[in-house]
Amino acid sequence: MTAVDPVSVEARLRDIQSITDVALSRLDDLDLLAELLDRTREVLQADTAAVLLLDFSSGQLIATAAAGLEEEVRQGVRIPVGHGFAGRIAAEHRPVVLDRVDHTTVMNPILWSKGIRSMAGVPMVASGRVIGVLHVGSLTPRRFTSGDVELLQLAGDRAAAAVQSMTAAADRAAVTALQRSLVPSALPAVAGAEMAARYIPGSGAVGGDWYDVFTLPTGHVCVTVGDVAGSGLAAAVIMGRMRSTLRAYALETTDPSEVVGRLDRKMQHFEPDALATVVYAVMEPGLHQMHVALAGHFPPVIARPGQPAELADIRPGALIGAAPRTRRPVTTVAVPPGALLCFYTDGLVERPGEVIDEGLDRLCRAVTAQSPEAACATVMGALVGSEPARDDIALLMIRRHAGRETDTDA
Amino acid sequence: MPDARFPVEMISGVPVVVTPEEVDITNAGGLRTALLEAAGNGPGRLVVDMTRTQFCDTAGLHALMLAHKRAVAESGDIRLVVTSAAVLRIFAITGLDDVIPHFATLEEALAATSGSAESS
Repeated sequence: MTAVDPVSVEARLRDIQSITDVALSRLDDLDLLAELLDRTREVLQADTAAVLLLDFSSGQLIATAAAGLEEEVRQGVRIPVGHGFAGRIAAEHRPVVLDRVDHTTVMNPILWSKGIRSMAGVPMVASGRVIGVLHVGSLTPRRFTSGDVELLQLAGDRAAAAVQSMTAAADRAAVTALQRSLVPSALPAVAGAEMAARYIPGSGAVGGDWYDVFTLPTGHVCVTVGDVAGSGLAAAVIMGRMRSTLRAYALETTDPSEVVGRLDRKMQHFEPDALATVVYAVMEPGLHQMHVALAGHFPPVIARPGQPAELADIRPGALIGAAPRTRRPVTTVAVPPGALLCFYTDGLVERPGEVIDEGLDRLCRAVTAQSPEAACATVMGALVGSEPARDDIALLMIRRHAGRETDTDA
Repeated sequence: MPDARFPVEMISGVPVVVTPEEVDITNAGGLRTALLEAAGNGPGRLVVDMTRTQFCDTAGLHALMLAHKRAVAESGDIRLVVTSAAVLRIFAITGLDDVIPHFATLEEALAATSGSAESS
């Protein structure tokens, strides 16, 4: 550019302002995207504008918002990364301008059957990776200039920020809803036992800790506490699947090693990247003993009346997802009348720079054979206090009634 | 870009990732990336030298497990060098010591042949 036309400079500034207008941020994200597409179309004097978002699991771009090209969204257009116009932009991570729109340059037939003659598109980048593509089209032949592409990139950046905040908010809402539906707010009533539990989400994203207690038709009581590695929606979804899988296998056999083994096989086949720890205990109908299998999880603490609490002596087993065909040993633990069992996740006992035994000792000192509700309160007070939890914490206490209580109940 | 907290050395053609004094939730993500990058140099053996590491939490264990899974899936293997009693303790309590072979010295980890994994 040699001679700078002051009118065009002013017009360009106005265009930039139209796209970066702060008033836009007062709209919610979906409206912002629609408004942004309208403005983009207007400032670039284009006939169509569309946003395709990358679905990371399938590697496809999915039409999400459009102006002048609504059918793209309504028909659920999907373009594989690396193919066609939008796919090329996402794969090459850079703007593409097309002067000819036909089946050789564009994969999506809607674009050419609509009569679009020229197109320009830019990648939408958030946190260093492509999350989608923004493109505009013209029904009359024209050549999109480098200035047009710069403006389009500005709109693309803005759209990327809106989408990112939209996704984060949706993930948070979904994780909270999942947690609420999966972590039982009311524990089942079990004759001869009392229970109490706590679940505290970590300070980062909510993650994949859970606990579950249920009875079997045989009268056995199953107790499980687990922790899926990672956090956010992905971990919470896996947690949900593991929880229902355990319940399903629990109905088929009372052998904890068999239940955990089947869970592991299912996870390794269908969720090959997942890692999780689980403690799974099956209590006999009279609650006098429990059979436990550990999968990379810390053993429960047992407090017998009148004695200091200790880690139940349970043989360790490999975590879920670790190695194919792993069989975990079953350890049987006697549960005398009045004894309290404490199941928990690592977030309760781990502290930065501290060896694990210190955390486990602290837990054992805090647990006494009292009512589960009081025991939860004591443990949370002693181990968490007023610090915000770094990691998720799940805590579940079960106490077998003392002999005399059981007699009167019977 | 290699992570300065997890330097990688090539010893007799085997990438050796050295871990710092503490491996926990604050740097486990960096360890995971460093291990995947080091393993990306080709299928084969990867050694994680944890001699300096005095403390490792479950987030650190998950990073090691993930690298182990990837290595096994690509017919490679991963060996650890562990000397700290605290690290050995968390390996034992979580059952990880039966899954990933670990050795007392770097020489043993490099020398052991595939499949003869010896965990003390």
